[in-house]
Amino acid sequence: MTDENTPQTDGGSQVFQPPGTDADIPSAAIDEDDQPADPAAGAAAEFVGEDIVAGYPTSAEPVIDGATIRLPPGEVTALVGPNGSGKSTLLAGLADQLDIDAGTVLLDGEDIHALEATELARKLGLLSQENVAPNSLAVEELVAHGRYPHRGFFESLSPADRAAIDEAIETAGVEHLRDREVGNLSGGQAQLVWIAMVLAQDTDVLLLDEPTTFLDMHHQLEVMEIVERLRDDGDVTVGIVLHDIEQAARYADHVVVLDDGGIYDRGPPEAVITAAMLAEVFGVEARVTATDDGPRVTPLRAVHDGE
Amino acid sequence: MAGEPTTRDRLASRFGRLSRVDSSLVSLCLASVIVVLVAGFVQIRYGDFAMTWGKAWAAVSDPNVLFSVQAWKGFLLGGELPELSHQSLIVWDMRIPRVIVAVFVGMNLAVSGAIFQAVTRNELASPFILGVSSGAGLAILFTLVVIPGVTIVVPLLVAELQVSTSMLLPVFAAVGGVLAFVIVYAIAWKNGTSPVRLVLAGVIVSTVFGSLQRAMFFFADDLGVVQSAIAWITGSLTGTDWEQVRMVLPWSVIALALAVLSARQLNVLLLGERTASSLGMRVERVRFALSGVAVLAAAASIAVAGIVGFVGLIVPHMVRNIVGSDYRKLIVGCLFVGPALMVAADVGARLALSVQIPVGIVTGLVGGPYFLYLMRKQESMGEI
Repeated sequence: MTDENTPQTDGGSQVFQPPGTDADIPSAAIDEDDQPADPAAGAAAEFVGEDIVAGYPTSAEPVIDGATIRLPPGEVTALVGPNGSGKSTLLAGLADQLDIDAGTVLLDGEDIHALEATELARKLGLLSQENVAPNSLAVEELVAHGRYPHRGFFESLSPADRAAIDEAIETAGVEHLRDREVGNLSGGQAQLVWIAMVLAQDTDVLLLDEPTTFLDMHHQLEVMEIVERLRDDGDVTVGIVLHDIEQAARYADHVVVLDDGGIYDRGPPEAVITAAMLAEVFGVEARVTATDDGPRVTPLRAVHDGE
Repeated sequence: MAGEPTTRDRLASRFGRLSRVDSSLVSLCLASVIVVLVAGFVQIRYGDFAMTWGKAWAAVSDPNVLFSVQAWKGFLLGGELPELSHQSLIVWDMRIPRVIVAVFVGMNLAVSGAIFQAVTRNELASPFILGVSSGAGLAILFTLVVIPGVTIVVPLLVAELQVSTSMLLPVFAAVGGVLAFVIVYAIAWKNGTSPVRLVLAGVIVSTVFGSLQRAMFFFADDLGVVQSAIAWITGSLTGTDWEQVRMVLPWSVIALALAVLSARQLNVLLLGERTASSLGMRVERVRFALSGVAVLAAAASIAVAGIVGFVGLIVPHMVRNIVGSDYRKLIVGCLFVGPALMVAADVGARLALSVQIPVGIVTGLVGGPYFLYLMRKQESMGEI
């Protein structure tokens, strides 16, 4: 990895911290080029992780070593990067599902570690990659579990809860599955239902970890259409880990490229998704063509080490 | 895609599903109540003291007992009983309390098993497998063998409260169960617990505690103690009377009420640790608290009946097969099916042979094959 040669595609906003440094760059790290959120998105929250260091107890080296990321309010930010670049780890650290070793995570300026677990869950939703539910659980009941942080210990579903469940089911487009049992759904249908569950959580920030991986094309598009709907509404700040760079190019307002535990580049898709980035981060020689749906990537061949 | 269903369709289908599900739960509960009543009445009629059906019914419905405040005070608080006919005395002082104890033991074990299965997200979990039974059993043996017949006097403001060791058995059993479970938890803990590690640690702790239990036999003074110790370890309702009811009742009420109230937490736990945690549940804390409820329920039943096997494993399965895995229904189902299995099994234990055998033998003989049948029938077993 030759980070000295990293192309400066984004007006100096690029942050790649070599392991061990503790530079004070938070303000410079923040993506400057996003437009001010439109008025309709007034309710959406800004979500910032500063200088995150995170890893797993089983390995000495941190997986994420000093990453700073900002999700602009009401917009969709995609995290892309090759396998093992730390996308899911960063997401788990941001969502407080993994204890970070250093750094702060701010939701609308508030440190999320100061929040009660349920309070945080009312503001921040996370959909993990692998999800399990009892087979006999009805779809509607699974979605209703999304209301968990909003309900007291003894409370039953309030009208507000029911409204949120109905809205989530509608947004996720799973009305027709409502009374089905989770065990009888296809993988793609189940993913849509799980998304409905985090939508029912009704959070200001929503983090999705590779929601399209392993899905067929139809369901990939269904998932991304939900993301598009959220982007159009602008009420939710979305952070989404994507395996497919073209999906990121097409549906995200901002793309953050992770490489080897650090942020390689960030910015609007057209600026970030370049042939140089693909060669350096993903190890592929590719042709990038600008289209109406964002940059199109045609991979040509794999670049081998030492070339 | 089919046309959008109207609100009315949706409501109809929702009510349809509700009534269908609830009807299966209701019929399950009704069937269980019938089993308890029939088996209970058989238990009351038959025995060394022979009675006709009519006489047995007359004794059960004896107004001198049913409407006597003094009798109920005697039963539930442990005072003097009023003058009763011979039949009424046998029925009300010996046979009915045994049925009642069986009911509570069945409820406690079934609910305890159901909770452990959700906490570990493993269908094969039961109070047995997680070491709780062996810990409570060891505590009971210790009490019986090492400190028999000691009376502790607790001075209160008004009077002295006399506490014998037998009255404290549930406390000791609970302490032993909690202790064993804490050890299991500590062994399984490694940056949090995992269902598999919990089960493995439970098996190991059970084995060690089982050895200690058997070692305890060699310190027993006489054969009587050994025999009653064996009855404890196998699980027996022989000789239970109202004292056992008084023992098990308060603990059961607390544990079972908490279990019913925790149904939603259990449901969320079934979604897996990560989902539960991102929904704002403090998973380790909830898991530990719910385990505490399950330990309490198991310990209460062990204190009066010893270690009755298979009930905590089988009953949640039977109920899950019928009403599904929603714990709001599952727990209620367990509260009915558990007693049905226990009371019926105890009829077999008391009346099937010329000698009374421990009820734990019957539940093992019935439960084992049923479990095997489930295993063959279900495609996959393990994770809920």
